[in-house]
Amino acid sequence: MPVLETHDLKKAFFGIPAVRGVSITAEAGQILGLIGQNGAGKSTLMNMLGGVVQADSGEMHLNGKRYTPQSPADAHKSQVAFIHQELNLFTNMTIAENIFIDDFPSFGFGPFKFVDWRIVREKTRTVLNEVGLNIAPDTTVDRISPGERQLVEIARALYMNASLIIFDEPTTSLTARETDNLFALMQRLRESGKAIIYISHILRDVQTLSDSIAVMRDGQLVTQEPVESFNIQRMISLMVGRNIDNLFPARTTTPTETPLLTLEGISAAGIVENVSFTLHKNEVLGVFGLMGSGRTELARILFGLDSFERGTITVDGKQLHHASPKESIRHHIAFVTENRREEGLLMNINISDNIALASLNDFGSIPLQAIDQERLETASQHMAGVLQLRSGDIRTQTVKALSGGNQQKVVIAKWLLSNPKVFIMDEPTRGIDVGAKFEIYSIIDQLAASGSGVLFISSELEELVGMCDRIVVMSRGEIFGEFLRGDFTEEAILHAAFHQERVEVPDEKPA
Amino acid sequence: MTAQRGRFGRLRQLLLSDYFVLYLTIVMYVSAAIILPRLGRPNTLALPGNIANQFTNIWPLLAVAIGQTFVLIIGGIDLSVGATMGITSVVGGLFMAQTLDAATFDKSPLWGSLISEQGGILLTRFGSNEDAVLIGILVMLLIGLLIGFLNGVAITRFRMAPFMVTLVTLTFFSSFALWLTASRNVSGLPEDFVRLGNGDIVSVFLGPKLESQIARREILPFITYPAVISLGLAFVGQFILSRTVFGRQMMSIGTNPKTSQISGLPSARVVIMVYMFSGFCAAVASILYSARIGFGQPSLGGGNILLDIIGAAVIGGTSLFGGKGSVRGTVLGVAFFVFLANVLNAMQLSPFIIDAVKGGVILIAAFLDVTRTRLLTQEQR
Amino acid sequence: MKSLRSVSQVLVNNSTIVLFIAVFVVFGLSSPLFFQPDSVINNIIKASAYTGITAVGITFVLLTGGIDLSLGSNMYLSSVIAGLLMRNQHIGVVPALIVAMLVGMIYGYLNAMCVVRLKIIPFMVTLATLVIGRGIGTALTESKQIDFPIEMGQFGQTPVFGLPMPVIVFVIVAIIGYVVLTRMPIGRQIYAVGNDPEAAKKAGINTDRVITFVYVFSGFCAGLAGFILISQLTRLDRSFAEGREFDAIAASVLGGTSLFGGIGTVPGAVIGALLTQMVSAGLIFNNVNLYLQPMVSSVIIFIAVLFDSLRTATQERLKRRFIRPLEPEKTKT
Repeated sequence: MPVLETHDLKKAFFGIPAVRGVSITAEAGQILGLIGQNGAGKSTLMNMLGGVVQADSGEMHLNGKRYTPQSPADAHKSQVAFIHQELNLFTNMTIAENIFIDDFPSFGFGPFKFVDWRIVREKTRTVLNEVGLNIAPDTTVDRISPGERQLVEIARALYMNASLIIFDEPTTSLTARETDNLFALMQRLRESGKAIIYISHILRDVQTLSDSIAVMRDGQLVTQEPVESFNIQRMISLMVGRNIDNLFPARTTTPTETPLLTLEGISAAGIVENVSFTLHKNEVLGVFGLMGSGRTELARILFGLDSFERGTITVDGKQLHHASPKESIRHHIAFVTENRREEGLLMNINISDNIALASLNDFGSIPLQAIDQERLETASQHMAGVLQLRSGDIRTQTVKALSGGNQQKVVIAKWLLSNPKVFIMDEPTRGIDVGAKFEIYSIIDQLAASGSGVLFISSELEELVGMCDRIVVMSRGEIFGEFLRGDFTEEAILHAAFHQERVEVPDEKPA
Repeated sequence: MTAQRGRFGRLRQLLLSDYFVLYLTIVMYVSAAIILPRLGRPNTLALPGNIANQFTNIWPLLAVAIGQTFVLIIGGIDLSVGATMGITSVVGGLFMAQTLDAATFDKSPLWGSLISEQGGILLTRFGSNEDAVLIGILVMLLIGLLIGFLNGVAITRFRMAPFMVTLVTLTFFSSFALWLTASRNVSGLPEDFVRLGNGDIVSVFLGPKLESQIARREILPFITYPAVISLGLAFVGQFILSRTVFGRQMMSIGTNPKTSQISGLPSARVVIMVYMFSGFCAAVASILYSARIGFGQPSLGGGNILLDIIGAAVIGGTSLFGGKGSVRGTVLGVAFFVFLANVLNAMQLSPFIIDAVKGGVILIAAFLDVTRTRLLTQEQR
Repeated sequence: MKSLRSVSQVLVNNSTIVLFIAVFVVFGLSSPLFFQPDSVINNIIKASAYTGITAVGITFVLLTGGIDLSLGSNMYLSSVIAGLLMRNQHIGVVPALIVAMLVGMIYGYLNAMCVVRLKIIPFMVTLATLVIGRGIGTALTESKQIDFPIEMGQFGQTPVFGLPMPVIVFVIVAIIGYVVLTRMPIGRQIYAVGNDPEAAKKAGINTDRVITFVYVFSGFCAGLAGFILISQLTRLDRSFAEGREFDAIAASVLGGTSLFGGIGTVPGAVIGALLTQMVSAGLIFNNVNLYLQPMVSSVIIFIAVLFDSLRTATQERLKRRFIRPLEPEKTKT
């Protein structure tokens, strides 16, 4: 009997389906690899398994019994461990404390229980040994590396005696040695009879580790088969689907030679290293990379939100000195972030005011002067029309009620009103359904056509291939390849993205 | 957006209405006026002078509450307004005083150098008391702005928590005020100043600058200087909030600081100016209070005034989380609070019980705020 | 250059101790009487006991990211009820002490319920209960002061192991607080909740229980501290313990507690309380104007909070996610 079975699980957020009827199985003593593009539904599916969200319909069975976790704590009790990509460790406490925080070994009676630190330390050492982490149990979490933190999370899961362990992109912050340790650990877990689900973009790893692979696309399970029936080629084509043709509008312009944004040698320790490229007028330049490759970090540095140590940024001939969003806006740079709800919009405020947010000074220059409300609303309405925003009265309706695609249009409208020349867009189609995506792509084309340059950051390769004039590939904070339109081969690009996943240390052979 | 109907639909609408507080105030007052006689207490509420009296209490509280509303809207808090009131009252008084008693003030550190038997700073140092009221008022407003500036800089530059910063300013300036006057009240203020706080506009002459403000001459007990000043401040405040770029920036910062930063808003500048405005409003309140009582009082703004201010703001719909609030709401909230105190007074309860009831009301108001927010979020779905 | 940087780093990270030593030395040098053991015990340690006890209690609350403004009113109300029972029902000192502690705990429990069940933010809840508590207390005493019977004063003056009573209670509370926070599961869970309430829930911690606990403990400390203080004064009037919550908060923050939660210790709070009292005592010894004392104290608190902010800012920068090794990968053993 499989450890886990799901039947026709469905989940939608604000009316947009994320998982459309998925039925998968995970067997004891086997590793199930789960692959798919961003937005394919993998995370939502796992969140349902882990009790973070509740399914709208469908069933889950754990060891034959109905499994309906209402919270992560329920999942723990049912011995399902979920190693998230964003770690849930308490940075102000030690490794040992993090592992035992909800269930300390103790002595005493009644309300007077005292932690048995000796046992805690012992057990921590044991469990850390199992994951191959050689650090003192009393080390505070804020002093260890992300890779080590991940191993601590895994140690927690092990201590919990989980029968099903889900790994979500576990290797993004790990060094080569840590990754090898992790894989050896997973083999040991597998041999001891645990069921493991392994989600990753790194197809080669998935292929090496898994016993069977499940491919998701657009919220549905494309197939679940034994690993033998897959090769990398097939994995990619199943993930991407072959109906690329009508997904993208035709590009109407080609890039000119005029440079709009030039980066030379941008470096920040631990974040990016020696990044250089040029964005031209009328150009859509794609920046591809896997999760954690440093694209968003680079974008933040470009826009002045974070600092950098070496290198120069030149916009339209002028070098940027005092990094800040205000400076960047003054130099006609716009930044559509990857997190529109938290960083791009004022959710409880009306659409019109959201659109006007980056250009308020255009409507009332002297601080105490009354805003020319009419002009503001006209301008907002105009922008909303240009982008074909579908909504109620923009003066009264709040952004919260809009669909993802329309919300993104509001963000873009906001920036358009500030007259930018350089548009940095980070995952602009994330969480948006297929129809709206097409509209966003058209907008991107129009932006380029009107003389701006668009820096299109994405982890969805197919949309970059469909829309960009050029693609640069980032991996671990460095640029590792540049591809021109006409030379776009998905495999080649993906390989460039994987390139640095195993850093070649002098006396170590690549895996 | 269709409002949810059903059994609670009406109630929900009422709760979410902007004028909820106004209805509440009227209901409370009317029911109290009816019930009181039955409780065997004299119905002081029905006396015509009573209502006019209440308004007198409203104006100064309203002034300082407007400033606090601004601070709450950007998601901060200003605990120091009481101390600002105290120090401005004292310094203003020390500037304007026409005569100071040696026995009372010789312990003050300023005695001899800046103040003396001849009078306050203006008379002692400059020998003349011309425009004393004008200068006194300006000094008070300036100090309010300065304290607000200090608060704002500490919060933005040094990233210190508003609670702690304004707590420190509170302690520092209230003890500073006590030190300057050796705990004494500063009497001997110019008559013109005192009249400022007591209304009665007919045939009052103030400094040339301020006279133009006074257009109404009829003796309507409501239209007094404090009324004009406070309501004027309220109009200005509401105007800034709802009709200017600055007001939008405030709302934006209070709603989502990250989005505001990325959209290029001058967040630090806005925050500093809001705290300066709060200090300014506290100074205005201090002017009105000091004028009313007729002397500079170092302990002005002490006691539980913060309770009244924050309570009024919250009742008026300002959220402690930031991003929500209006001057109009605060006006209603202050009115409610003052009338509530009046009703409780009429019931002849001890001041401490009155405070306790106020506390309970605030709790209910905070709970309603939480519920209101939850209802609004649900409705948007 | 580098060594200068690391020196200032050490200073910032241990600012409280540094300040403590600095103040001690400065005042000791300017007034030799300061250092007499007798005066140290009585003027510093004993006088700081009440703030110290409440500072330990409020540290628990601050660690979870909450706040308790009703501390002073709690001290007052629990003493009132204990005092009334002593006067009217003639109960003994020890039963009265227990009553005070119980009332304090109930008060704290009511605070907790409003925070946890009604989901009102702690600032509002405790601001409201601040006035409600004092109002009830004043009503019960009809605004008159309570004079406690002789036994109370005797109790207050009884030395324990040769040390003044308040000092012993302070020590006991500090030890209890320390043990709970460092050696009991719920203590560690308090740190977790303060660091990340969402992650705490995900980790299976009963955050409601933890939050209730800290408010009850803070209430307990308030009741206890109030009673002990009254045992020294033997007289309870209606302005008793006004403003004490700010003293407690300041002492705790001075000792390194962060207002955002997750950071703070009992020893830190103890040092903070001693430090504030030492400053006051030092100022008195040096005949500094009485009015200037609160001004000096507030400046010191400002400096401490400033250092805390600088420290937090540095830590934030260190928490930035690193996606590549900071230095080229070394071969690990």
